[in-house]
Amino acid sequence: MNDVAVLQEIDPAAYIAPDAVVGPYCVIGPHVTIGPGTILRRRVTVLGRTSVGSGNVFEDGCVLGAIPQDLKYGGGQTLLMIGHRNRFGREATAHVGTEAGGFLTRIGNDNILMDGSHVAHDCYVDDRVTLGRHVLLAGHIRIHTGAVIDDLSGLHHFVTIGRYASVGPHTPVRRDVPPFCDYRSLDHDWAGPPAVRGPHEAGIRAAGLGADEERELRYALRELFDDESALQTKIEQLVNMGVEGEAAALCEFCNRSLQGVYGRYREKFRGEKPPEARHFLPRDGAFDTRRNMP
Amino acid sequence: MPRISKNAIVEGTAQLAPDVVVGPFSYVGPEARIGPGCVLENNVTVVGRTTLGAGTHVFPLAVVGAAPPGSESAGQCILGEANAVREHVTVYAGADRPTRIGNHNLVMIASQIGAGVWIGDHGIFDNCTQIGPGADLEDYVRMSGFASVAAGVRVGAYSFVAGYAGIESDAPPYAMLQGYPTRVRGVNSRNLKACGFGKEDIQALKAAFRELFNGRGYKVNREALLRLADDPTANRHVRRLVAALQAAAKHGDAPDE
Repeated sequence: MNDVAVLQEIDPAAYIAPDAVVGPYCVIGPHVTIGPGTILRRRVTVLGRTSVGSGNVFEDGCVLGAIPQDLKYGGGQTLLMIGHRNRFGREATAHVGTEAGGFLTRIGNDNILMDGSHVAHDCYVDDRVTLGRHVLLAGHIRIHTGAVIDDLSGLHHFVTIGRYASVGPHTPVRRDVPPFCDYRSLDHDWAGPPAVRGPHEAGIRAAGLGADEERELRYALRELFDDESALQTKIEQLVNMGVEGEAAALCEFCNRSLQGVYGRYREKFRGEKPPEARHFLPRDGAFDTRRNMP
Repeated sequence: MPRISKNAIVEGTAQLAPDVVVGPFSYVGPEARIGPGCVLENNVTVVGRTTLGAGTHVFPLAVVGAAPPGSESAGQCILGEANAVREHVTVYAGADRPTRIGNHNLVMIASQIGAGVWIGDHGIFDNCTQIGPGADLEDYVRMSGFASVAAGVRVGAYSFVAGYAGIESDAPPYAMLQGYPTRVRGVNSRNLKACGFGKEDIQALKAAFRELFNGRGYKVNREALLRLADDPTANRHVRRLVAALQAAAKHGDAPDE
């Protein structure tokens, strides 16, 4: 430690790993756990029942675990779980879950959340996701591994973003984005409707698919999104052809979105616990953030 | 005694009700008046001639009563009761016209409320909404993410502004507004139902909207407007809509022609 008196307010009940670094003007509440090697720069606020894993970096002015911006939230003991090695840009924010939405907001590992991005109540962000500057996630969203969301995009409640999908800049996302797809407005005409504009090449590279699987996936993407005809019949054709691996997962994803409301599969979890909450929360309902530590 | 953190700075002349909570690293300026039950969390800044009504909750890193860029005089900023000002929000103080926010509003993360803005009651302003200086927002207005209202523009009561919309001229009440340039997409019936409007009222409004805006987006059908204005049997909400549209036409920059 340096010898300058550092002003910070850490509740004595909070658990902070010995080699975590907490900068000046940080405020940490009583039910917070911060794992080893995590760095909190200046003015970082961690409230609520929040567990932060190891090796995360939070830049200036991040606020984590504040109460959700949901009028239905009744002050329950809801959680925010953040995994390992995430990087949060300046003024990034994440809220705890709500009772109706499954009690949990979860951010996985190795994600990059750039300046001003916001993860709302009951969102599930998987691993290696990139959120650009001021990306807004509304409540109850699931973002699968490897997705990239460009600056200033806003996502509607209950949207799902598939694995290794990408969303263009300044794009309103009102429906599910299938895996490995590039979803954007054409020619930056953002008054026009955004749509799938082709495969997300960097995502396909990052996923490291085998040659056969990649060929099949590209074929499925062409078949599904190259023309405007009904998606349902095209999915059935592909399934009847017996596609496997990522192509089959793509068909299943599109099928589920079609069954949802306005192209949003997760709408069916409105007012109930989503499957992720059952998976990640301890079964006995004991909300002890300390247990989530490695 | 107010519960003031030992690391907070509260100027001696600030007036705080007895049960106010001020978190660490917050600053309360000399002309601030904080009402009963207010909670200022950590790193909050309240400056200028700012009044916070009872039960206002200000979240970390929000700034209330800041002087707008380019102005040096400390303006006035009056917040009513039970408002929530979320993280990173800036509420600017108006010098010639005080910024007024009514009761039970929710201003979400990183929104900016310009100097001299008037906001009614029960508004919800989603993340990153920008409200230009001198804008006038009536009760129950709801704005989605990244929506903006230009300076000096009036938005009618019970209107819903969809994400990314930019309101550049007076918007009618009861409307769904979407896109840029912004268009009237219909009656905000879901919000009206939630606010306790009867079926009859909503049907009357839907019929009036069909006459006034059908296929014309933001442009008002002048003949329908004159006809509805002369109709003594019109529903009271329709009369309010007509009055708002007539006032907008007088305001000068309404794109009705």
